[in-house]
Amino acid sequence: MSPAFSESYDVIVVGAGHAGCEAAMACARMGLSTVLATINLDLIAQMSCNPAIGGIAKGHLVREVDALGGIMGCVTDAVGIQFRLLNTSRGPAVWSPRAQCDKKQYRVKMRQVLESEPGLKIKQAEVVDLVIEENTNKDRTLRGVKLRDGRTIGAGAVVVTTGTFLNGLIHVGETTYPAGRSGEPPSVLLGEALKQLGLRTARLKTGTPPRLDARSIDWSRFEKQPGDADPVPFSFRTLKIEREQVACYVAYTTEETHRILQASIAKSPLYSGQITGIGPRYCPSIEDKIVKFPDKTRHQIFLEPEGVDTNEIYVNGMSTSMPIDVQTAVVHSIPGLENAEMIRPGYAIEYDSVDPTELDRALHVKSVRGLFLAGQINGTSGYEEAACQGIMAGINAARYVQGREPVVLDRTQAYTGILIDDLVAKGTNEPYRMFTSRAEFRLHLRIDNADRRLTPIGHEVGLISSADYAAFLEKQEHILELGRVVRSMLMPASGPDGDRPTVANYLKRPEVRIADVLPLVAGKLDFTPTRAELEAVEIESKYEGYLQQQERQIERLKRSEKVRIPASFQYAGIPGLSREITEKLVRVRPSTLGQASRIPGVTPAAIVVLQAMISVGRGAASVD
Amino acid sequence: MLSDDTIVALSTPPGRGAISTIRFSGPESLKIARRLVRLPDAPQARRATLGEFCDADGEAADEVLLTWFPAPNSYSGEEVVEVSCHGAPVVVDYFLRCALVQGARLAEPGEFTLRAFTHGRMNLAQAEAVRDLVEAQTLYQAKVAVQQMEGALSRRMAPLKQELVDLIALLEAGIDFAEDDVSVAPPEEITRRIEALRAPLEEWLASFRFGRVVREGLTMAIVGRPNVGKSSLFNRLLERERAIVTASAGTTRDLVSETLNLEGIPVRLVDTAGIRETSDEAESIGVRRSFEASAEADVTLLVLDAVSGVGEEDRVLMSRFPSAVLVMNKIDTGKNAFDGAQRCSALTGDGISALRRALVARLSEGAAEPGFLTNVRHERLIREGVEALERAADATRGGLPHEMILLDLYNVLRPLGAITGETTVEDILNRIFSTFCIGK
Repeated sequence: MSPAFSESYDVIVVGAGHAGCEAAMACARMGLSTVLATINLDLIAQMSCNPAIGGIAKGHLVREVDALGGIMGCVTDAVGIQFRLLNTSRGPAVWSPRAQCDKKQYRVKMRQVLESEPGLKIKQAEVVDLVIEENTNKDRTLRGVKLRDGRTIGAGAVVVTTGTFLNGLIHVGETTYPAGRSGEPPSVLLGEALKQLGLRTARLKTGTPPRLDARSIDWSRFEKQPGDADPVPFSFRTLKIEREQVACYVAYTTEETHRILQASIAKSPLYSGQITGIGPRYCPSIEDKIVKFPDKTRHQIFLEPEGVDTNEIYVNGMSTSMPIDVQTAVVHSIPGLENAEMIRPGYAIEYDSVDPTELDRALHVKSVRGLFLAGQINGTSGYEEAACQGIMAGINAARYVQGREPVVLDRTQAYTGILIDDLVAKGTNEPYRMFTSRAEFRLHLRIDNADRRLTPIGHEVGLISSADYAAFLEKQEHILELGRVVRSMLMPASGPDGDRPTVANYLKRPEVRIADVLPLVAGKLDFTPTRAELEAVEIESKYEGYLQQQERQIERLKRSEKVRIPASFQYAGIPGLSREITEKLVRVRPSTLGQASRIPGVTPAAIVVLQAMISVGRGAASVD
Repeated sequence: MLSDDTIVALSTPPGRGAISTIRFSGPESLKIARRLVRLPDAPQARRATLGEFCDADGEAADEVLLTWFPAPNSYSGEEVVEVSCHGAPVVVDYFLRCALVQGARLAEPGEFTLRAFTHGRMNLAQAEAVRDLVEAQTLYQAKVAVQQMEGALSRRMAPLKQELVDLIALLEAGIDFAEDDVSVAPPEEITRRIEALRAPLEEWLASFRFGRVVREGLTMAIVGRPNVGKSSLFNRLLERERAIVTASAGTTRDLVSETLNLEGIPVRLVDTAGIRETSDEAESIGVRRSFEASAEADVTLLVLDAVSGVGEEDRVLMSRFPSAVLVMNKIDTGKNAFDGAQRCSALTGDGISALRRALVARLSEGAAEPGFLTNVRHERLIREGVEALERAADATRGGLPHEMILLDLYNVLRPLGAITGETTVEDILNRIFSTFCIGK
């Protein structure tokens, strides 16, 4: 018996944050009737924490979302007010773009983009329950959602992207109150509904710093950090960043800051035992920094504008949940901020996340067909981490409705693949953030080749237009041709010994840039190479030997990824598997031997046993 | 290959011996063994009980000792039963066939150790050491194998791996947290830390020469002019008469070889014909063989004669065998000292112990620490690691960016992990286990 639906859609996306926007847009562009449901229509794509998109490894994720046909890159390019390419003192594999954005314009632009998509309906509504059908085998299939206002909407698939809203609880000193974000109600009923499904949840914590009034700050006291003179855009489709760039400023804490925090540490909900959720180690609150690194005499603080037509300044590096009077004193202890007015205090928020090992690599809940989860609900942190899950969950929800095989990116293809594989194989016990060191094949996963890695997939699923795809193909053609020329052409003889390396080998010298040899090769080309094309060839030349080495390792990894473990594989009763390992495998249900080997605590010995069991055909395993 | 069945195999060398031991492993071990062995009482854990092996008609076929090891405190981590019977092949064979009838399965080569490994009873290096222990010929070899089983290799590895991981972490932090206040390691520091890793790894690698010698033994050739006492020394080192010793020069025309236990290292000692200009055809064949034997030997002992002193012929031989150990024989005559030679008397035995010690010392250069390399696979892996370290050092000196240096450092970590089995497994595992002898 199916409930009477007031309306029906192919896909409903719950939540319009960075994951939800990508998911909804992907489904709609793939031709499915899609609804994006949000509690507050005016806060679509709200940047709830810092005003920046990108950063090391995160910039890679944005490029990947863009290469797949996502929207985060374009929106950022449109509203970015300070662009910087980070890590340029190292090699191009770890270069990563970051842009300070105008937060309000980001929301407005994102809403415009969503509203321009004909197949997408945006609705202000709170989803409070899921409609699930259970058959006689206890297999559960999602049929729709219930709204707070009593309506029931049917759907082929639902993507839940509720961020920190599930049972969110804000802490400021000893004061606590339920909230999804500061000033917004939490989503309690939907959280309960997910728990009713039997999904394992965890309690995580994150924090945000105070915001100050720019007019009350003595800007002359800080080190100015300008944007890049020649800004690098996020999107492969953006030709140039035209807008005027603003500066950020670097400040430092003082001994006085440290003294104030030390003296008030008992008032911190983090240390009083009031907060039980696990916070990210890579993004500690200022009180945490003082306690855990007592030898450090000062900490960096970045003052970042929240937009061009607001006086609000984000105090990056000062995330805190101290009582407001302590926050005020801490702010005032920093030279230049003595008279700063606090517009909003910092706070910590605890929220429920779903254990991501409940998901498969399509971000599909294993125990409920048709239910997909993406973003912070899966235990991640960061706009970019959310967006890349959003687009993959969107693609896979759409393909599920279409009756197609899911699209799964592997660890050799994309940071996005690494993120999802890490989450579903290992779970996470702190908010998960991407780092370049998580990538086994880092030299291969670069911002310059994200399109080569992923745009064919984006085109295949229907997210890259034919015009964009044609441009992509032409660029690849140019890169190939340019590569052929540099590999075959010799440098002019220099000096009496007449040593003549190929141009490609000459490019391997650390001090040589492709611009130095461009006059030599330009005559051999029947096109004028773009900056991106030149860079691609320069990078491939410089990394050549290392890339070949990685290719061989990728081949090895792919072999173990090809040994599939069937979903029905029986782990119980296998001799040689400890109970602890068996429990882990049963919980995660890895789909390949390679994935099983990455589950923490699963020993090499256990993998040998699994391999043996698979090869003797237990549970009808197949190798393809 | 693995299931929850019970396996059985002869775990002592096949053939006639005083005692043969048959080992069971698996959940039905005791149940099956008790159907074959009549015991006065229920067996106690880990205590040998005297019983009778009875055939199908209940007739006692042999008197046996049965020892029961309940899981998980056994070699394999499963229930294990060991039955020791008299070493008659016909009895053993009959016993095994009865065990199969009762539901046991004959173990695959190395399956006991595979089970021990999969139950977490030992790591990869330890599993490999078991094979060495089983094949040990001398007590010293056995000691080394036991050391490795107990984790000497892993213990020697652990601090090196820790330092490597520290260095990797340092560089990784610099990349992923470039925005934070992480200080970037200057190239001099990276180079210094790479060198600090390379030295002990290379030393370890050097210990393989000795490790291989311990594991596989070596060949030592005794050469010298005629009648300097080569055969007497040969016999003295063997401590028994073996070679024909006469007072006339040129007696040993053919090569004579015998295995000697040199402080636990098995040494094939080769006696050779005396080397001199000769017109005797048989003798000149012997001389040629002496040179060949010396060329094939791992160590050459060049024997000198204290009575006749070091003459022109000796000097020719010394330049011909520059790395030979020089031995001055016949010191009992009280004549002629020559610096730089081990002094001894094959006749009286004076100086022989010192000579043996000197030989061991020479073989064990670089192997002072426990956990030296005895296994070709380990040697290859550590060499791979050292080579990657060299590339990392080159990359650092060449000013390459850290993510490229890191690639080389991961190429150091991977082979090191493959030794103690802490990183993912390769096909090598199947190879290791398939080279294990049955029932060991």
